[in-house]
Amino acid sequence: MTDSPRDALILGGNRIPFARSGGPYAGISNQDLLTAALDGLVARYGLQGAKLGEVSGGAVLKLAGDLNLTRESALGAPLDPRTPAIDLSKACATGLETVLHSSNRIRLGQIDSAIAAGVDSASDSPIEVTPRLRRTLHRAFAAKTPVQRLKALAAIRPADLAPVPPRNGEPRTGLSMGEHMALTAAAWGITREDQDALALASHQKLAAAYSSGFLDDLVTGYRGLGRDQNLRADSTMEKLAGLKPVFGVSSPQVPEPTMTAGNSTPLSDGASAVLLGSADWAAEQGYTPLARVVDARTAAVDFVHGDEGLLMAPAYAVPELLDANGLSLQDLDFYEIHEAFASTVLATLAAWESPQFARERLGRAEPLGAIDRDRLNVLGSSLAAGHPFAATGGRIVATLAKHLHAEAVRTGRTQRGLISVCAAAGQGTVALLESVA
Amino acid sequence: MDTVHIQTPGGSAEEIVDLAQVPSFPAVYTAALSPGRPRRRGRPVLPDTVLRVRGVHLDAARARDFDHLMGGPATDLVHPGVLHVVAFPVALSLMARRSFPFRLLGVVHLRNQLLQHRPVRVGETVDVQCRVRALAAHRKGWTFEAVATLHGQDGEIIATDVSTYLAPEDVEHTGTGGKTGEKKSSGSRRREFTPPEPTGRWRLPADTGRRYAAVSGDANPIHLSALSAKAFGFPRAIAHGMYTASRALTESRPDLATPLRWDVSFDAPVTLPGTVLVAYEDTPAAALLRGGGHRAGLRRRNRPAAERVRPRIAP
Repeated sequence: MTDSPRDALILGGNRIPFARSGGPYAGISNQDLLTAALDGLVARYGLQGAKLGEVSGGAVLKLAGDLNLTRESALGAPLDPRTPAIDLSKACATGLETVLHSSNRIRLGQIDSAIAAGVDSASDSPIEVTPRLRRTLHRAFAAKTPVQRLKALAAIRPADLAPVPPRNGEPRTGLSMGEHMALTAAAWGITREDQDALALASHQKLAAAYSSGFLDDLVTGYRGLGRDQNLRADSTMEKLAGLKPVFGVSSPQVPEPTMTAGNSTPLSDGASAVLLGSADWAAEQGYTPLARVVDARTAAVDFVHGDEGLLMAPAYAVPELLDANGLSLQDLDFYEIHEAFASTVLATLAAWESPQFARERLGRAEPLGAIDRDRLNVLGSSLAAGHPFAATGGRIVATLAKHLHAEAVRTGRTQRGLISVCAAAGQGTVALLESVA
Repeated sequence: MDTVHIQTPGGSAEEIVDLAQVPSFPAVYTAALSPGRPRRRGRPVLPDTVLRVRGVHLDAARARDFDHLMGGPATDLVHPGVLHVVAFPVALSLMARRSFPFRLLGVVHLRNQLLQHRPVRVGETVDVQCRVRALAAHRKGWTFEAVATLHGQDGEIIATDVSTYLAPEDVEHTGTGGKTGEKKSSGSRRREFTPPEPTGRWRLPADTGRRYAAVSGDANPIHLSALSAKAFGFPRAIAHGMYTASRALTESRPDLATPLRWDVSFDAPVTLPGTVLVAYEDTPAAALLRGGGHRAGLRRRNRPAAERVRPRIAP
């Protein structure tokens, strides 16, 4: 046995089409969506009755009662009910983190096979009671006599009864994610035109991926939806230019707001799942490995008082990942930078090209440099597909793994791919995949 | 309403009556309340009528609500209970017709068997045909089967739902018409029942019947409230049998992507509110799952528990 752990291989994936919030998946729960994604994966890979090492999954907008969301969903899928499951959560990086969690377990020899999944429903997000009402009710439940209970309940005021929807914004700054990003975009001088062009390219590439049949074995229709609802194959620069800015419009630091509904991701519903296994398990089952999970890094930035932009953590995690693997940014064949907003991708690329950012922020003599834009998000990304938070990681991993494998077969060379995902609270997770041909 | 006469291979003439749409439960129940002619003495005759409704949409929202009420995920494959629910009002409508020899109110659902020949997806459109058949003498009256077939748009049969009902009648009265040997052979004897170790417990609140009525449409007053149940001679509201059966089916985690057979026998009513202990026994090798429920607290020695729901699933 060698010192380095064994490979964790990506064997395939399945997701349901992503829907816009309030669309065809309205009234459908996280558990429904995740079960549907798992059902499709089980059907695609003949996993009926299979006892896997573990199913990892998670959701960002999660109901209190869904504490075992992944286990409950796995029990609802036709897997062996003795397959363990775990719930994880790290905002928009949840889906990528579940893949890393499962691949780490496989690499360490703790398990031989896994499904890594993620789900979110903005249509069915939790609505809570006010903290005051919650505490009053707890006092009433704890009361020993009816009089005490009545007294506790008498403290309820009409305002306490207002429902509390999920917080739309960073708890420490009060700014929404879009408002944060608008500040970063303005600081980096990201133009409206560049953002719209990136959004347009995302739609065109995803539309091409559907029409070429590339997504046929990665997406299973659900509730009458066969493709991502947000996809606009016929979008144009003119149409995108006609949209009004929605973020940064009331901020003095943003002289010219540039972020619109067209170059920002919409609230979405969806779920994805990725099948992973050791080389031995894959061979036993007769699966063709697509790619292996080489390495990953995470980073966080101090955004609270404006030291760094909220969504810039991946700009720090990627250089670490490259250094650890002796690679330059240009050694990579494909780049998947999650399109939370078009400006997130562009600001990250600008940071990597900036000598000042390299010097002052990364402590490097030279910047990482520019990338070949033709190798960025080549099959479309979140601006076109939509972004059900925890489902995005699985979408990217399965899509990139399949593409790396296809390119390796086509060119006869090993293909390397980078995944970069930003997350709320100033966090980021990045990963390196390598084709297995 | 269109009427067609066809000759079946067996030689008996069937009359197909097309309904424009699935009849509503209230309309059927209202029709059933109107006094019919008293049945003539002797062996009753089941009508040869086939009621047919074409183009019935298996609504995605209804399928979702049904799945959720049973505690399962909303899948793209229709819960077999929904197939029964779609056909049930058509069968009831047939049983409410004047040509039907028994009074609809008072008929007891004894058993149900549903054969699903292929997976059924939400949003599909099906044709429903219902007929009654298999009259047999029973120690408490007569039993018969209401048979519903669901057809795809290519005409193939998707599912067959066979509901066995008992039409209670004064035994002596029916006895004069039936053959003497007939009654003994088909008279069901209750087998000794030893409650299994429970694997779960259902606490069924008083609104269980109303919630099932909301997704199934079956607003039979005996299920809705104690008051409405009393009006029909029941001391308390009774859970819909197909609710307990459908919930047990969901909890048994069947693979709806394969053909399946779902057998249920209703041995006693579940009163509401109430608690039911349930048990499942899985035989994966035989692809067979047995489940059952019995009333909690009725484990008196040598006495069968009064209630059993036994879904039996086999492909």
